[in-house]
Formats: sequence, C-alpha cells, structure tokens
Amino acid sequence: MNQFLPYFILLPLAGWVLSALFPNRNEKIIFGISIATVALHSIGVFALSLFWLYQDKPNVFYDGVSLYKTHDSDFSIDFYFDGISSVYAVVASVLTFSVMIFSRFYMHRDKGFKRFFNNVLFFYLGLSIVLFSGNFETLFIGWEILGVTSFFLIAFYRDRYLPVKNALKVVSLYRVADAALLLGIWLCHHAFEKNITFSELLNPAVLQEHFMEEPIYPLLISSIFLLAALVKSAQFPFSSWLPRAMEGPTTSSAIFYGSLSVHIGVFLLLRTFPIWESSEVFRAVVIAFGLITSLMATATARVQSTVKTQIAYSSIAQIGLMFIEVALGWHTLALIHFAGNVFLRSYQLLVSPSVLSYMIHDQFFNFIAPQHNIKNTLWGKLRLTVYMLSIKEWNLDNFMYRFLWNPLKRLGALLDFIPVRAVTLLFVPLFLVGFFFVYNRELLPPAALEHLPSAMAVIGIMLALKAFKMRGNAQLSWSLVIMNQLFSALSIGLHEEFEHVQILLFLSGIVVSGIVGFWCLRYLVKEGESIKLDRYHGHSFYYPRLTFVFMLAALSLSGFPITPTFIGEDLLLGKIDEHQFLLLGFTALSLILDGLVVFRIYARLFLGPNEKGYHEVAFRSS
Amino acid sequence: MMNHKLTELVVDTQQESVGFDEEHILEALKHFLPTQTPLKDFIHHNSLHAFQQMEFYDAIFKASKIFGYKVTFNLDEYRGLYQIGRIRMDILDKVISERKGPAALSAWKQLVLLQSYDETVHPRIGRLRSAWKTAYRIDLNNLVQPLLFRILGSYLDQGIALWHFPFEDQGLLNAVRELERNSFSSFFKTNRVKKLLLDEKNCTISNLLSLLVGDEAYFEQYLFDQQFSHRGWSGMSAALEAHPEAILYPKKIELRDLIVLELLLEMDALEAQLAGAWIPLSEKVKVKPVDLFADFETSELHEVYRIWQDAFEWSYYDEVLAGLQQLKLKRPESKRSHKHFQAIFCIDEREDSIRRHLEAMDKDCETLGSPGFFGVEFYFQPENGKFYEKLCPAPVTPKYLIKEFGANSHREHELLYTKKTHTLLRGFLSTLSLGVLAAAKLFLTIFRPKMSPAISNAFAHMNVGGQLTVENKSLEDRENDLQIGFTVEEMAARVEGLLRGIGMVEDFAPLVYVMAHGSSSANNPHHGAHDCGACSGRPGSVNSRVFAIMANHQKVRRLLALRGLVIPDETQFLGALHDTAADEIAFFDEHIISQKNATAHKKNVATFERALDLNAQERSRRFASINTHAELKHVREAIRLRSVSLFEPRPELGHGTNALCFVGHRSRTKGLFFDRRAFMNSYDYRTDPEGKLLLGVIRPLPIVCGGINLEYYFSRLDNYKLGAGTKLPHNVTGLIGVTNSSDGDLRPGLPLQMIEVHDPVRLVILVEHFPEVVLKTVQAQPEVYEWFINNWVHLVAIHPETNQFYYFRNGAFVLYEPLAKEVKSAEDMQYLIRNAKEMKTNFIVDATQEHLPVHVIND
Repeated sequence: MNQFLPYFILLPLAGWVLSALFPNRNEKIIFGISIATVALHSIGVFALSLFWLYQDKPNVFYDGVSLYKTHDSDFSIDFYFDGISSVYAVVASVLTFSVMIFSRFYMHRDKGFKRFFNNVLFFYLGLSIVLFSGNFETLFIGWEILGVTSFFLIAFYRDRYLPVKNALKVVSLYRVADAALLLGIWLCHHAFEKNITFSELLNPAVLQEHFMEEPIYPLLISSIFLLAALVKSAQFPFSSWLPRAMEGPTTSSAIFYGSLSVHIGVFLLLRTFPIWESSEVFRAVVIAFGLITSLMATATARVQSTVKTQIAYSSIAQIGLMFIEVALGWHTLALIHFAGNVFLRSYQLLVSPSVLSYMIHDQFFNFIAPQHNIKNTLWGKLRLTVYMLSIKEWNLDNFMYRFLWNPLKRLGALLDFIPVRAVTLLFVPLFLVGFFFVYNRELLPPAALEHLPSAMAVIGIMLALKAFKMRGNAQLSWSLVIMNQLFSALSIGLHEEFEHVQILLFLSGIVVSGIVGFWCLRYLVKEGESIKLDRYHGHSFYYPRLTFVFMLAALSLSGFPITPTFIGEDLLLGKIDEHQFLLLGFTALSLILDGLVVFRIYARLFLGPNEKGYHEVAFRSS
Repeated sequence: MMNHKLTELVVDTQQESVGFDEEHILEALKHFLPTQTPLKDFIHHNSLHAFQQMEFYDAIFKASKIFGYKVTFNLDEYRGLYQIGRIRMDILDKVISERKGPAALSAWKQLVLLQSYDETVHPRIGRLRSAWKTAYRIDLNNLVQPLLFRILGSYLDQGIALWHFPFEDQGLLNAVRELERNSFSSFFKTNRVKKLLLDEKNCTISNLLSLLVGDEAYFEQYLFDQQFSHRGWSGMSAALEAHPEAILYPKKIELRDLIVLELLLEMDALEAQLAGAWIPLSEKVKVKPVDLFADFETSELHEVYRIWQDAFEWSYYDEVLAGLQQLKLKRPESKRSHKHFQAIFCIDEREDSIRRHLEAMDKDCETLGSPGFFGVEFYFQPENGKFYEKLCPAPVTPKYLIKEFGANSHREHELLYTKKTHTLLRGFLSTLSLGVLAAAKLFLTIFRPKMSPAISNAFAHMNVGGQLTVENKSLEDRENDLQIGFTVEEMAARVEGLLRGIGMVEDFAPLVYVMAHGSSSANNPHHGAHDCGACSGRPGSVNSRVFAIMANHQKVRRLLALRGLVIPDETQFLGALHDTAADEIAFFDEHIISQKNATAHKKNVATFERALDLNAQERSRRFASINTHAELKHVREAIRLRSVSLFEPRPELGHGTNALCFVGHRSRTKGLFFDRRAFMNSYDYRTDPEGKLLLGVIRPLPIVCGGINLEYYFSRLDNYKLGAGTKLPHNVTGLIGVTNSSDGDLRPGLPLQMIEVHDPVRLVILVEHFPEVVLKTVQAQPEVYEWFINNWVHLVAIHPETNQFYYFRNGAFVLYEPLAKEVKSAEDMQYLIRNAKEMKTNFIVDATQEHLPVHVIND
C-alpha cells in the first residue's frame, strides 16, 4: 500500500508542469489538464481511503528518497497516510474538483486564467505534500508551496494596490510561521537526535526516551508548532490577515481562505498531538487560544458589513473551536467539524455575490424597523465597548506592526549611521577574509574561533535589518540580502567543519539567483525605469517576462524549497548546536527578514498600479 | 434644473475666493461625485454627468486632467483598430479634412498614424493631500481609510451584520459621538481629537480644516483630494443624502458628517503617529493651491485622440446609414392590411433580435417599440411587501400606487443563506449539519443548476396569480399620499399617449402583445443593470399587465373612440414578460382571451417560441460555453441554464454593444441586421406631421438610452476608475454595493464582464422626420438640447420624402452622404451568426472583431 503514496505527489506535480506549458488563450486545454489531474487524484484518494479502511486502518509509511545524508542528518522525502490524511485529502480533493469546475466558467476570459489554474494546481501539489508528508521536512516543503501560492493568489489582481499590499501583509506573517516551523524542525532534530518521522511520533517509547532527559523540549517544540498553527489558521492574535486575503477571484477565496489553507493549522496540531498530549498545561494553553479566538472572531463576525469578511471571521471562530476539540482529544469530532466548516464556508463564499439580491428581497417582505434601546448601564456600556472593539477587529490588524515590524524597523534605524557605500567597501573585503578562514580555520586562534561565528551572525542580522528598513534603492536592498545570506553562511562555516559540497550548494543558490535578480534590476534601470522602493511601480505591466524571471530569482534567494538555497539553508541550520539559541535566533530572524525584503522588492517593483503611459490605472483605494 | 444650479456653483468656484463657503463646496463635491445609488436599483446614467454642460471632448479631456480618468483609447489601440480595418481609411480622411481642412490632411494624417507622444496623464487631484506623505512620511490613506470605511459600512449596512450600528437613528456623527460617550473603547487614539469630536458646537468642517490644513485658500483642494481618494463611499453617502428612499432600512447620512469624521480621523492619525509634532499642511507645502477646475489647454495629442474617436464612431455610423439607404432603395414599403398580431416591445436594443426573428417567423405580424414602462408610471406594492417599488423612468415621480392582492404567494427560503451560521454555537451546529448540505449543494450548483430563491428571477417580480388595483375606486382611496389605481380618464390618457406616440392608430390586429422585459441571473449583485431601464432597473411585467388591463377596459375604449382612436372590439391586449437572459416569455391574464382569439393566440405562442429559439441561438454566438452549432433546443436550454448558474458571471451581456437609437416606422429598419445594437422606438411622422408628439417621444431617449450608452462608454474605456472592475473578486458590502477587499472603496460603474463586448461609440439617435421639425423639437427644452448641442449623443434626421440624411452639427442640420456605397447582404443571416468569429481576448482590437457588420437581409 505504501508504494502508492508518492504518486499522490507526482500526479499533481505532473499536471502542474504540463498545464504551465500552454498559453493563456488555450482555456480548454489548461482546464482539461487541471481537472483531469484533480479528478484522477480524487479517485486515487477515495480508493486509497477505502482500501485503508478495508485494511483496518493501518498507519502507512513510505520511506522516500534522501535528498542528502550526513552522519547525523538525513533530509529525506517521506510519506505517511492515516485517518487524518485521509479525511483532509478526501475533503480537499472533492472541494478542489468542484471549485475548479466552477472556475472554468467563472474565470473565462480573465487575463489570469492560466495563472489561476496553475496556481490552484500548485497549491494542490503543496497541499498534497503536506497531507501525505511523513516527516516535518517534507511537510515544510508543502507548507512553503502553500505560502507562495497564497501570495500569488492574493496578489492575483496585481495591478491594483490593495491586493498587493495585502499579499505582502499575509506573506510576512506566513514567513513568521515558516521560521517557526523551521525552528520546530531544528528542535526536533536535536531532541530526537535525528529527523523524526510521524510514525515514530506515535510510538510512546520514542517520545518517552527523548523527552525524559530534556523536559524543556516537548514544551518548546509544542509552543513553536502552536505558533505556526496559530498564524496559518488565523487564530488570535493573528486573525486579521484572513479577511484581507480575500482579494483574488471569489473561487480562490473559497478554496483557500474559506477552507483548505486556513485549516492547515488544525492539521499541524493533529500531527503534533503526540508530542504535547501528556502536558495538561499545554493543552490548556491551546484551549485558551481557541476560546479567545472563538469569542473575539464571533463578535467581529457579528458586526461585519461585508459578506466575505463576515464569512472569514465565522470560519476563524469555528477553527478556534477545532483547536479546543483537538486539545481535548476529540479528534473525530474535530475532523467532522473541519469537513463541515470547509464545505459550508466555501459554499457561502461561492454564492456570496447573491446575498445582495436574496437579502434585499427578504427584507422587502420581512423588514422590521429595529428598536433603539440601549440602556445607559454598565452592561450597556460593556456591550458598546465590545461593539466598538469588534468594529476595530480588536486592533489585531495593527498587532504585528506594533509588536514586530515597527520595533524591527526601529532597530534598523539605529544602523542609519552606517552609510550605504560603507556596506560595499567594508563588508565585501570582510567577507572575503572570512571566507578565506573558513577553509583555513587552523590559522585562527581558538578564542577567535569561538566568537567569530556569532560576530558574523550579528553582522548578518545587521545587514538584514538595514535592508528591512530601507525604502530606497532596490539594488542595494537586494545586495544586502545576498550579503546577509553570505555572512550567515560564514558564521556557520567558521563554526564547524563542513563539506565543500554543502557550502557550494548553498552558495550556488545565492550567487546564481543573486546575479539573475541583479541583472533584472540593471535591466530596468537601463530602460529608464525607477527602482526606488518608496512606492509600487507595477513594472509587470510593461515587463511581464522580466517579472517572471525576477520572481524565480526572488523565490530562490528567499530559500524556497527545493532550490539550492533552501537545501543549503536547511543544512546550515542543522549545524547550529542545541545550546546556541542566540545564533539560532539570529539565523531565524534573518531568515524572516530576508524573505520579507525579497518579497517586498518584488512587490514594490513589479506589482501594483503602473502609472506610466495612457492606460487604465486603478485607484489607490481599490 | 439641479444641474444648472450646480453648474453655476462650479463656475463660481473658479472665480475664487471670498473665503471658505462650506455649503458651496459641499454642493460642488456632490456635483462631481458618482451619483450611483445602492445596487438593488440600477439606474444607468452618464458617468461624467458633472461635465455635461460642456462640449463632449472638452469635457472628457478636462475630466481626465482633473481626475485622471482614461476617456479615449490610447494611440496603440486606435492604430490597432485602424490596422484591422475597424477604423476606415476613407472615414479617417474625411474626419481630418472636415476638422483641419483638406490642405492639412496629409500633415495631420502623419501625426495621427505615426507620431509618438508621451501619453501619460498627470491628474490634478490628490496632489495637495499627498504632501502629508512627502512631508511626514505618513500614509493617511492607509491609516484612516480602513477604519473609516468600516464605520461607514457598518452604519449604512442594510442587513449583513447581525448587530446593527448603535444610535444609528441619530445621524452618523451623532451616533459616533454617543458611542464615544458611552463605551470604554474609542475609535480615536488621542484624547485631543476625541475632545474635538465631543465639542459639538465647534466640530465643523472649517474649524477642523483650520487645524489640519491651515490656510483657507487650500480648503477646497484639500476636500476634493480627500473625498476623491474614495469616491465610491463619498458618492454613496451623497447619493443617499439626496435619495434616502433608495434604501429600505432607513439611515440618516450626510456627506458633511462623513467629511467631519474623516478629518477627525486624519488628525488623530497625525497626532498618534507623529506624537503631536506636526504643523498644518499649508505651512508645509511650498506650492500655491491648485484650482482643480481651471481651464485646461488641450494639446495636439488631444486633437489626435479626437480625430481617432470620431473616425472610430463614424466608421460604424456610416455603415448604418448606408444600410438604411440601401434598404430603402431596394424595398419600397408595402402595406399589409391584415396583421396576425402586433407586439409592442421595449425600445431596448436587446429586443432588436427577437423582433427580427418574430417578423421572420410570421410575415404578417407587426412589432413596435416603446419605452418599457409603456407610459404608465406608478409605485407597485407586491402582496405582503413592506415597501413600494417605483416602476417608471428614474426622473419621474409617480402619483399612483398599484397594489397586488389575492396572490397567496409564499416565499421560499434558502437554508444556507441564514445568518445564524455566523454565531458561535449555532455556527458550530450548523457547520456540522449544513456542511453536508453545502457539499451536496455545491455539486448540484455545478452539475444541475436550477432556479432557487437565491437567484433573482425576473418572473417572480409579480405573481401572475395575483390581481392588481389598476382602477381607482374613489379619489379618497389613497395611501401615503399616493392615489391607488388610475381613474378611467387617467387610464385613457395613458393608453392614448402611448398608442399615438408609436403611431398605432389604425389597423389593429386582433391580439396586441405588450411585451415587457426583465432578466434573471444568479450570483449577480449587478442584476438590476440587466432589467428594464425605463422601469428604474426592474422587470416591466407589472407595467405591461397594467397597460393591457387599461387598454382592454371598456370605458377606456369608449373614451378613446370619442377622441378618434377606435380600437376594434375584437382586439385584445395581452401583457407578457420576456426574460432577456433565459430567453423565455410568460403571458399574463391569458384567461381573458376571447374564444375567437384563442386559436390565434395559441399559434402566436408557438411563433414566439420559435423566435425565442433563434434568438437564443443568435445570443449564444457570444458565449464560449455554448456550442452555437448544436441543435436549437440544446442551445435554448443552455441559454436558460446560464441564467440560473451561480458560476456564470455573464448570464447575459446587458446593453453591451449598444450604439444606435432609431425613432421612426419599422418599415425603415425591417430587414436590416443591426446585431442587437439598436434601440428602436416606433414613431410615425405621418400621424404627427407637425411633430407635436415628437418631443414626448424624444425627451426620454437621451437620458435613458444616452445614459446607458455613456455609462457603457466610460466603463469600457476606464474600467478601473469609472467602471467596477472585474466582478470576480467583488465583495458585497452592506447590501448596497460591491468593494474590492475588506478595506476597499465601493466600486460604482459597470463590471468588466458587462462591457468587454462593447465598442465605446456615442449613441446616434436617428429620427425619421423633416429636419426642421426635429430641430425645433430638440431645441424645445434646454435639458434635452444640452445632450445634442454638446455632442454627448449624435443626432441624424432622416428626411421622410427625399430619404436623405441630415447630421446635427453645431446647432444645425447638414446633409450627410454615406461614403460606403453598399453594405453586405445575406440570404441566411442565421448561418452567418452561427459561423461568426469569437473574440480571442477582450482587448478592444480583438473584441471588436466579434461584431457582425450591418447586413441587408434578403427575403
């Protein structure tokens, strides 16, 4: 049975690649390939699930290919199938199949018809990887695909301001979840002293053995995974991104944000449940988050005057309940709840445009003028307070700015004293010297060897902060990101012996994507275009191909899975020792910042309204 | 009248400045903001109505300079149209020669075809307010708009939220004040601003502007910048202030309140972000205030656009005129004495094709056209309805009420639309229960679309089983200041008015169908835009039924006979409704049909059915999902399914492609193929030689047809700023409109899916009468004349005796001889239709190729 599992990944992969080969006007072929892929996949999922039931629900594990292997780590692509995978996959395939057919007519003649179907297939691939993943590393690949397709689908109408702004907002948060997941993987790696698989997690003996010695681990690991789950499932305090993600065509909102994408947090909790099952305290924490979210999101949904936003908050509230269900161990209920919520919210979103005529009609016959009797009592005041807070979405939309981005920006501002030129003049030679010592570590005194890695990491993080704060020249920001990556590599390279292949892999990723991206920017400058980051330029209007090339470079530079940078990054992370939390924190932070800077460069330069020439330009407020 | 007063106001503004006059600026703002009311009623209007007192090109270029709208194609697009022959060379030459003189032809042609220009528009709007960003690196739009829209949306909400805005009966600003006073939270971050709000006496626009902007000279520009940064919400507030009856759930809203609230929020944002370290904007900016409405010097480039647009329009009109000429020469009029039946349709250009098919199916029928409210103006109250619906053109205010009774209708509900799924516990239970239902529904929606309560059904507008209070019982029978029903005298006046207006005064057929129209569509917030424009964006079923009842009334007939309009006793009028999306027809009150007419009616119904089949086939050529070559009944079924398919953003194409409006006898157009682009109003100059009735016929045309045409024109050319953009991401807000995103502005105008087939050409009204009579008629009323003298619609008189065309230019008629000597002719038009090309993309050069040229159909 387990040998079937890889096909559930290969099929959408093949469909995605194939559908990408046809131009936009071949709507029939693009749709045909997409629907055939998902239909076959659905049949497969059903067959597999039935077979699995017939076989009395075994846990199916497939030991896949090793991407690379060292003495202590083994990055392998493993697959796994159990009841959770089954329910999620069945629901996902049925829903994707239906929504795709719906979209065939809905998306007809849209400029982005092809982009839409490619993205949905890519999303489906990512989702399949997540659902069938056998270990955290594999799950992470799918997780990242989901993140990237989210960005593209939110910014689907890329020549308007709000979609692009909101796509950036969402992807920034996702980046935090990504980093959390990576940290979680790192922690697991150290806790279990190997890359743990999901089937091993089910074995109490394994957990017992490793957690006994370091009781801090289960709490840390669980917390970090909980953080990732809270972000992805738009739970408190991260809820406000979900309504803002509803920027793409209604069908994509229905499939992603109404349903599948946003329930991935619940999936992660279900998967990691064995790790925190025994901790009463932690279960209480999960319940608390679920409960707070449910209450706040319900209140917010009650006051919403836009239909999609209302559905988003209702969905968030139900997911909050699912968190509680998972924590209480009621997993069957959680899965039923998941399926019901997915279908209900997707349907509500798909038909949301008809709410107008339905409700107006209803009102025409049944309207009763509302009573205005709010009493001036404490209770009345409290009610009004809740009303106002709900209108303001409990200030959650500002939350990330206030507590994360703005402090980081202020940190970046502290570095204003370093002039931009100094960066190139100072840091390039510094890097070359450092690079020399990586291969000649014996020349360094041991004391230096001890502190240099951290020093390099600090330099790296400084560069990243500077890049994050900068609103000026894109080329400079781009270089800062590259240099940050190089310094991160350096810090780890100085820290420990490692194989040439590894560093070459990493460097090749950075260098190639760095150069390609740089060339794209140079090209724009040569064409007389502005590449200042203080506003959106929408260069994709006149340079669609260049946009595509730059996007690939950006994905690669930000460490998108399966690019050399990613593998290198992952390897390097693996090099950080279990007690070097500072180094780890720096590396994680610079990972987040790099991603943000790179996505921002892409969005500011290539997306948004293009105001040059005489063509339709969207208002800022749309 | 309103317009004129405002025009003066705007002119005043330009003459500057005796200090800040709040009332004056508010009026000016309201004049320029979009006037679209909530989507439940869709009234088409000129998107640039505020500029209508100016000449068309001057107006659009000025609007573009001020607000940054795209008002013509760009040069690449025009040149592309020229390359594919859509813009004809001979027409281009003629346009240049006429405008620039024959001597300058080659020089200008060079410019038009080859010169490159920097076409970027640098609008005047927004410049002052953007100085906040340059001065303080602060983005007020981002900081203020999301909360402002949320408050405004919640305040105006008609029923999406479960919890309505507290104190909403007190006006926006007062409601916010009460909230601030009575809760522990605040919309404001700073106490200073909260205090400003609560100080009711001094919380005025001018006081706030003094704090925020400083120098009075900048106030007007600042307010325009501010309000036009979200013209959707501001326009909606202003429109609801002017028309509080446009929503069912009453709300008190004033543009003034919105502005005060926004100024406060802006100041709050500045205080909070800059910790009080800011000075009024006028002290920060170096430039003088800009007069937004100052005269605008057009350039050579604008001349080039103008030449191109004229050539684009005349390339089509010329073909139309050539077709009319050819038909007249070929087919001298023959009068048929015995008609099987007559059918009065709405003038709507979507009825062009069904009339053509009907005439082809039964050579002895006559079709006529008249605005689809059929001259009867009233409010309608369906049984159990809590409100009235206006059923006549938007500018008319009826004095009558028609009530439905005895229908015993029972409205069905749709479980999945219940708001209870948005509460926590019931939401929990409903996800568990309704989730399964939703999954099943989803499948049914996709594979078995069918009519449901969630779909706007044109036939459900009126219950056929119910009865209507058409006749007034006594003058005391009134409700809310409206007379219930019409007296016999009033009925007779209306029936006579309509019949004489369309020249239907003799040779009545035994059956006269009064065919209203409406449109069913699913998942479509803009469904009102597909219904009858003459019925305030609603189906015209009640009007057609009421008219038929009036015209069949014995006392009415007697009165009419006294006035020389004799309708034979055997003639019966029958109301009916044509669903232009589903291509179905329902007939009303069939039980009144006399035995003598019953067989004929049965036969006629079959004729209508066959015409509907062909009509469906003709329409299907523009729908990619339907195979036009399939069997007729399959095509017809596919067309019907579109109107109930939730996944179909184009249930029909509305008024897309409209370009002509013909006023005259059908014999001049019968046999011409206009590809559903012509409004057709019946009128017979012979029954009205002096043109006494002509004004009544022409008066509504510019505002109804011209309004439709110009809304399509501007939504096509700038779908981002003047249109609503693509429908696909729309988010229904407050049941009043659609927005992009959860933080976006309302999007008035037409969505992309409605305008992509449209060629933006101005409407040309063709009137069959003597030019001097037409001239006298259009000049009779200034508000009618404005449309023509300022070139917002074109006017051509067809001389009924010499058959020559006279084009209205600069206040006079000049002879126009079509350059095209011949138009195409065809034996089997349906064959051409089935094999017509489908657009590759909706880019204009591709899209325009979908249109079929004017054809003379050979018998």
